[in-house]
Amino acid sequence: MKFYVCIKQVPDVNAPLQIKDGQLIQDADRNILNAYDASAVEEALVLTEQHGGEVEVVLAGPEKAKETLRKALAMGVHKGTHIVTNGDEDFDSSAYAKILAKFFSDKEYDYISCGKQSQDTDAGLAGAMMAELLNLPYATNAVGLEYNDGTLTVKRQGDIGQEIIDVPSPGLVTCSNDMNDPRIPSLKGIMQSKRKPVDTISLDDLGADISSDEVNTKVLGFEEKPEREPGKKYEGEPDEIAREVAQLLDSEENVI
Amino acid sequence: MSTLLTVISVNDGKIKRSSLEVLSRCNELAADNGLKSAALVIDANTSGIAEQLKAYGPDTIYTIENPIFKNHLNTPVLKALSSAVEHIQPQLVAFPSTESSKDVLGALAANKNAAALSDMSEFELTDNGVKGKRPVMASKIISSVEASGSPVIISVRSGSYDVVEKSGDASVEAIDFNFSDDELRVTLKEIISSSSDRVDLSEAEVVIAAGRGVKDEEGRNMISELASVLNAGIGASRALTEAGDYDPSLQIGQTGKVVSPQLYIGVAISGAIQHVAGMANSKVIVAINKDPDAPIFDIADYGLVGDLYKILPPFIEELKKIKNN
Repeated sequence: MKFYVCIKQVPDVNAPLQIKDGQLIQDADRNILNAYDASAVEEALVLTEQHGGEVEVVLAGPEKAKETLRKALAMGVHKGTHIVTNGDEDFDSSAYAKILAKFFSDKEYDYISCGKQSQDTDAGLAGAMMAELLNLPYATNAVGLEYNDGTLTVKRQGDIGQEIIDVPSPGLVTCSNDMNDPRIPSLKGIMQSKRKPVDTISLDDLGADISSDEVNTKVLGFEEKPEREPGKKYEGEPDEIAREVAQLLDSEENVI
Repeated sequence: MSTLLTVISVNDGKIKRSSLEVLSRCNELAADNGLKSAALVIDANTSGIAEQLKAYGPDTIYTIENPIFKNHLNTPVLKALSSAVEHIQPQLVAFPSTESSKDVLGALAANKNAAALSDMSEFELTDNGVKGKRPVMASKIISSVEASGSPVIISVRSGSYDVVEKSGDASVEAIDFNFSDDELRVTLKEIISSSSDRVDLSEAEVVIAAGRGVKDEEGRNMISELASVLNAGIGASRALTEAGDYDPSLQIGQTGKVVSPQLYIGVAISGAIQHVAGMANSKVIVAINKDPDAPIFDIADYGLVGDLYKILPPFIEELKKIKNN
């Protein structure tokens, strides 16, 4: 079974942030493997460990994102491709989906997977866009994957329950981080990752040089989320504070 | 005249409130800009839904009816959406943000080579598209975004707009749709739903969220009793859904559902940013936690510091008294 996992380097949303002149500034340059993509990598590794096969990762991003590619290799991925961008293009989900679809256009594989969204933008568009561009059957928001007789069975979290869907090969699946706990690379894995093959290609090489005219969504700026008015803290006898707040929810807030 | 098209989300023959929020906003924008507001219903049975929709003021209600839509499956839904967009030629296609719409938004955009913006908290029209706001970085930051072209395809977070009833006599038009099983590609084998009989969490007016401190059956029973007194939906933090204590569809947060109830009560919820991303738009927030420094208290209107096992019994008893009066 041949799995390709698309991964992205994202800023750590838990790191301190500030906004200056409408621009988002990270105090520390803390970048990580998108957690949803890490789950996709983990799941592809588990499936190929069970059923045989190979996992490759593809990352489109600037030079510094190579460390994230190395992280996936250290987890056990066999090979990586780095599609190098300048990092200052204003690519949106659609642009990345087009770049990756171009990459896959001459590849053979059983399944492509990726995280269901990026932790930084939470857009959740690129996976289904890629499936449509490549004309692949797909499932999103997977919380479990099984592989039987050449077909991937996806457990997807839907609105009212979990939908069990068969996605034939070749197909695409986007993964939730609820499906597993991605492995932490071992020292051995880290050492081995340094000798694993990484192809580095430019957008030009790929023939996927997307001009800014083709990018039809733009981020204009950032602002802090308006703070909620601080409320009141009740400490003391549980019985008293419980009854007091229950009454206020009725008399003051009218929500009971 | 150009059209703003709202795609209606239906669950069990009922229109989801979040769809009516989006429709109400589109009605308003259509009225301000001299455009048409239309609703699209894709379901196994559309006539009852179309009747209900008339009270919310679209100019036209389009329906696509086929038994295949009894359960969500992306291939037929995409085909239906694509046909509808070709037929109606809207300048905006707006979805409520649900797991089903997230499943097809990107594919529809790629299919139509259209700009897409997901999970918007505000939107308005521009000369050549849409601009608005969407939360990013686990909802800590708001980004201003714009999209150009026609159509622009968006999804809107629940709770972003009020539902406004508006009487009218919308015309109902059925759009031709054929689908054969050969086109399916993906097959739905089963739906596992252990919470279908409960209140729909993403639509609930009152939400009780259980966190890690709810550690045994006694605690879960208290949560259930509190929810039953308030006719509330029950949600949970990731820790509890992962532990198997609560159904995975009940997870609130960046990974799970976004809720925007009138009243949110977090029980032993610490307030990790991934959870807060899914509930920060609640109108009134009550937090019960024994750690006085829990970050949930920074956003709670009413913060009760103490042990849930001591606070919940009198809290429930007092609420019952209020309800009975």
